Amino acid sequence: MDTSFLDRFLVIFALYNLLATIGVSIYGIVVRPHITKKIISLTLLGDALNMLTIFLGFKPFSIPPVLLKTDVGSEEIMKLATSAVDPLPQALVLTAVVIGLAVNLFLIFLALQVFRLYGTLDSRKIKELRG
Amino acid sequence: MRRSYVVLVSLVSIVFVLAYVTTYMNALGSICSDTRYLAKLFLALTYNPDTNSSLKYFAAMSPEAVTAIVWDYRGIDTFYETTVFFMAIIAALTIYRGVTSPASTTQGNGLSLIVKVVTKLLIPMNIAVAVSIAVHGHLTPGGGFQAGAALAVVSVLLAVVFSGSSFDKLNISISKAVALRSTGLLGIAAVTFIPLVYNLVTGVQAYLMQSYVKADAPFAFPTHIWGQLISGTLIWLNVAEFLAVSFGFFVVFMLLSLREETVRKYLGVGDGH
Repeated sequence: MDTSFLDRFLVIFALYNLLATIGVSIYGIVVRPHITKKIISLTLLGDALNMLTIFLGFKPFSIPPVLLKTDVGSEEIMKLATSAVDPLPQALVLTAVVIGLAVNLFLIFLALQVFRLYGTLDSRKIKELRG
Repeated sequence: MRRSYVVLVSLVSIVFVLAYVTTYMNALGSICSDTRYLAKLFLALTYNPDTNSSLKYFAAMSPEAVTAIVWDYRGIDTFYETTVFFMAIIAALTIYRGVTSPASTTQGNGLSLIVKVVTKLLIPMNIAVAVSIAVHGHLTPGGGFQAGAALAVVSVLLAVVFSGSSFDKLNISISKAVALRSTGLLGIAAVTFIPLVYNLVTGVQAYLMQSYVKADAPFAFPTHIWGQLISGTLIWLNVAEFLAVSFGFFVVFMLLSLREETVRKYLGVGDGH
C-alpha cells in the first residue's frame, strides 16, 4: 500500500517514542534503588513492549479483524483478509496484558512483605541486612 | 559520578541500536506495508459457514479472528498463559498463608455518601458489561481475559469506596473467591479434555482442545445453540476464563484491602523496625 511521507514519519515517530520509553524503563529497573520505582518501570517496560508487538501488525487504513455479520459469502471473507490488521500480535498482547497485571500484583505483594519484614524498600539497605 | 555517565551512554546506545535496527535493517518486518501471509490465512479461515467447502477443516467458526487465535489456533499457548496467571495468584496466596479470613474487627466507614450512591449505581452496570464482554467474546472484540479484568474493578471499587469490611457484609470470603476461580480453571480443563473422553468412549479420533471438525477428526462441539452462534468451545472457554481471571483478581484485591494490623498479627511480624 502506498503511504505518504507524513504517514511514514508519524509511524517512525511513534516507534522511536516507544524505543525511548523502553530505554527509560530499563534505566528505572536497573539503576533506581527503590523497589516501588523498579515495579513502576517494569509496568512501563511491559506496556511499551506490548505496544511494540501491536505495532508489528499495524497497517494504515485498515479495519479490525472482525466480521460484522455471520451470514457472509466468500468475497466478504476475502475482503476482510485483504484489508484487516494482523490479528496474531493482538491475540498475544490480549493475554499478556492480564498476565502482566497478575504478575505485577504478585510483585507488589512481595514488596509489601519486604516492607513488613525489613521496614524499608531501598534495595541498597536491604542488601546490607542479614536475616 | 563516572558510573552515571556509563549508565547514560549505555542506555542511549541501546535506544539508538534499537532505532537503527528497526529503521534500516527491517527488524520488525513489514510495518506500514501489507499484512503477512500467516495473518491473511488466519483472517480468511477463521469463519467459514459453508459446510461443503473443504476449508471448513481449518475454520474456528468465530467471526472474530483474535478470539479464534487465542482459544483455537493457539489454544495450548493460552492454556499455559492461564497457568502463569494461576501461579501468580497462588504465589500471592502463599505469602498471605495463615491469613484465612478478612477478620475486619473494626467497622470501616468508606467514602462519602455521594460516592457511595454513585458507586452503587455503577457496580451493576459494571457487572453487566463484564458478563456481556465474556459471552460475546467470540463475536466482538473482547473475551474472558478482558471481562475478568472488567469485573475485577468491582472488587477495587468495593474495597476503596465501601471499605474492606464490605466484603464481609456481602458475604464474599477469600475461600469462596478461590473456589469460584478454581471452578473456572476446572471448566477450562473440562472443555480441553472432553474430546479425549469422547475419543475413549466412541473410538472416533479427536484432538485435545479441538473445537471444530478437522480433516481426520470428525469430532466437533456444537457451533449453534437455538440458532445463536456460539463457536464451539470458544464461548465455554471464554466464560470459564472470565470466572478464573475475575475471581483471581478478587482474591488478590481482597488480600490487599486487609487491615495492616490484622495482617501483621497473622504473619507474626511486629509493628516495624
